Amino acid sequence: MRKLGLIVKREYLTRVKTKGFVIGTLAVPLLGLAFCLMIVFLVNHKTESSLRFAIVDNSDGLSQSVVQGLNSKLEDGKPEFVVEQTFVRPADSDAVQTDLRNKINAGTLDAYLLIPAKNTDSFELHMRNPDNFSQIGPLSGALDQSVITQRLSQQGVHVDDLKSVLKGADLKLLKVSDRGEAEEKGQSIGIAIALVVLLYTSLLMYGIITMRSVIEEKTTRTMEVLISAVRPFELLAGKILGVAAAAFTQFAIWMTSTALLFSYGALAAMGMGGKSMLSGVHVPPSLILYATLFFFGGYFLYSAMFAAVGAACSNEQDAQQLQWLAMGPLVFCMIIYSVILNDPSSKMAVILSEIPFFAPVLMSLRISLQTPPLWQIALSLGLLVLTTIVMIWLSAKIYRVGVLMYGKRPSLIEMARWLRYS
Amino acid sequence: MDAITLEKVSKSYDSVAAVSNVSVRVRQGSIFGLLGPNGAGKTTTIRMIMHILVADEGSIKVLDKPVSDETRDLIGYLPEERGLYPRMKVRDIIVFLAALHGLTEAEAGRRADQWLDKLGLGEWKSKKLVDLSKGMQQKVQFITSVIHEPPVMILDEPFSGLDPVNSATIEEIIMEMKGKGATIVLSSHRMDQIERMCDAICLINKGQNILDGDIRSIKESYGKNTVQFEFTGPDTFLKSPSIEKLTRLGNGAEAKLKPGADSQEVLRAALQAGANITKFELMYPTLNEIFIERTTRA
Repeated sequence: MRKLGLIVKREYLTRVKTKGFVIGTLAVPLLGLAFCLMIVFLVNHKTESSLRFAIVDNSDGLSQSVVQGLNSKLEDGKPEFVVEQTFVRPADSDAVQTDLRNKINAGTLDAYLLIPAKNTDSFELHMRNPDNFSQIGPLSGALDQSVITQRLSQQGVHVDDLKSVLKGADLKLLKVSDRGEAEEKGQSIGIAIALVVLLYTSLLMYGIITMRSVIEEKTTRTMEVLISAVRPFELLAGKILGVAAAAFTQFAIWMTSTALLFSYGALAAMGMGGKSMLSGVHVPPSLILYATLFFFGGYFLYSAMFAAVGAACSNEQDAQQLQWLAMGPLVFCMIIYSVILNDPSSKMAVILSEIPFFAPVLMSLRISLQTPPLWQIALSLGLLVLTTIVMIWLSAKIYRVGVLMYGKRPSLIEMARWLRYS
Repeated sequence: MDAITLEKVSKSYDSVAAVSNVSVRVRQGSIFGLLGPNGAGKTTTIRMIMHILVADEGSIKVLDKPVSDETRDLIGYLPEERGLYPRMKVRDIIVFLAALHGLTEAEAGRRADQWLDKLGLGEWKSKKLVDLSKGMQQKVQFITSVIHEPPVMILDEPFSGLDPVNSATIEEIIMEMKGKGATIVLSSHRMDQIERMCDAICLINKGQNILDGDIRSIKESYGKNTVQFEFTGPDTFLKSPSIEKLTRLGNGAEAKLKPGADSQEVLRAALQAGANITKFELMYPTLNEIFIERTTRA
């Protein structure tokens, strides 16, 4: 136990003291803050200058109602759209259009709108930059409204307040759970996806860190010195626990800063005039508890697998070929998760989430969407713990043989044979 | 009491026998040379003594205890495949390994400082290992294997990469440890050093113990069959039919005589040929000679 403690301590300190760790740990919250601020800025940002445009109206006066609909204002109070000229049923439409195109190229005009004779034909907007969606949106809306009004009145329907008639039904989504009902605003899916991504990336990232650390001891030939002092199992366990301690330190810092960011970030967002996107997001404590349990199980399972891969390889190149063994199940989770998102209690979802290699990600996902029966959670967790213990035992065997093997990358058959060596 | 006993030990990897039926005894308080060509099975033997590998057959004892994770702490081990965490500080790494071998961190720190000063590395203690020269790294490695003052030490090629001055320092330290009662197993390809330092040897070839015992009695069993000359002048006498094998040296030659040949005959022939003999010594074969002869014999 004393030796295990020494190994954990060394692994932890050498990791936490690196520049990479300090920078990474601080940079993520800062980048997150910058990202939030940027989104808030972009959401609130509108085009600065008015769109100067002309209308070539081949219909019988539709341009009037279009112009009336274009009443949106810029932040500084100026109108967003300025109609410079209107040509109603010009004699030579082509000549007028050529002239307008010249003006656009000369920069004295931004665009011109061509209204067809019949409102069932296409309208055309000619401009230098047709990808400017923020301006095309309101213009297109005004066109829709004018055309619909015109058609209705052509059929003899008189509509004073079109908006009130066309207003759609308001559908509220309510999530039923054993704690009663709560209004669903899409946050369950948001939390679920965030959880899947978080579990996937952290299991993968720390697994690979563990693998690299084993390979480093092999390439620097530190291994034999170490295993002349400690048992390979102690070395393996110490490494996994040491990396885990560093990982949780980083996580704790990230979580704390994210919590601060959420509260201050939401305030900042509201201060800048945007609606807080985060209000109403509520993560149930039971989900945090379960996700943590599954994360721990998954962490030890995958770390043991990655450590075994590292022990079997002599260098990073070999490891890149062999690491799919450990990465495969995780990648599969990312491919399959949308199926479970659609129907979290389907037979396939239940079966997949009971398989220990998928359980950390997929069972957490199911819990976040629709809490499954307790027995399913307990069974999944139980199987995960059992598999993890077996995997650590197997990895320790591969580790014991592999750490002293240099040279050719072993085949899977050779690795299986290592398990028989005492 | 024997410090290390191997009794009919065998170990194979899949179908390849790395060590077969090896029995060796290492007397306590002696320096023991473990010799053999590359790939002979020395490293496998050492790893079994360290309980890093487990023998398929036979028994291994260290200070009369069957090898286990516990006996490992009785042995200081300098492996041939060596290296240390390159980005750790010199003193930290010594303290870490000493603590793994059971010292308290305070005691480990005190001894680390002593050793670093003794080997002239005092001012390097807070440098990272990568910043040290290869020879200095070797010395750090040596410190890590002896700092916990184990009763038994296994040093695999302790002199490789060291210049003559450092090599002499390490040799001195090894003799000092022997003086304090430690048992040292030395594996080296430098036969002159083995010959000078060891009391007994074991020669392993192709996984088998082909020769073992006290160096003196091994040499005596060969008899004084080797003549070393130093001379100037003609060397035609070296073609004498009494000489079985000839090795040219810088200012002379070493000649192994045929069984039953008279060394005085060779000397007379040399003088007759007009050579000016400055040294003529009849001696036992060198360990180097014995090594080559025994390992290249069909």
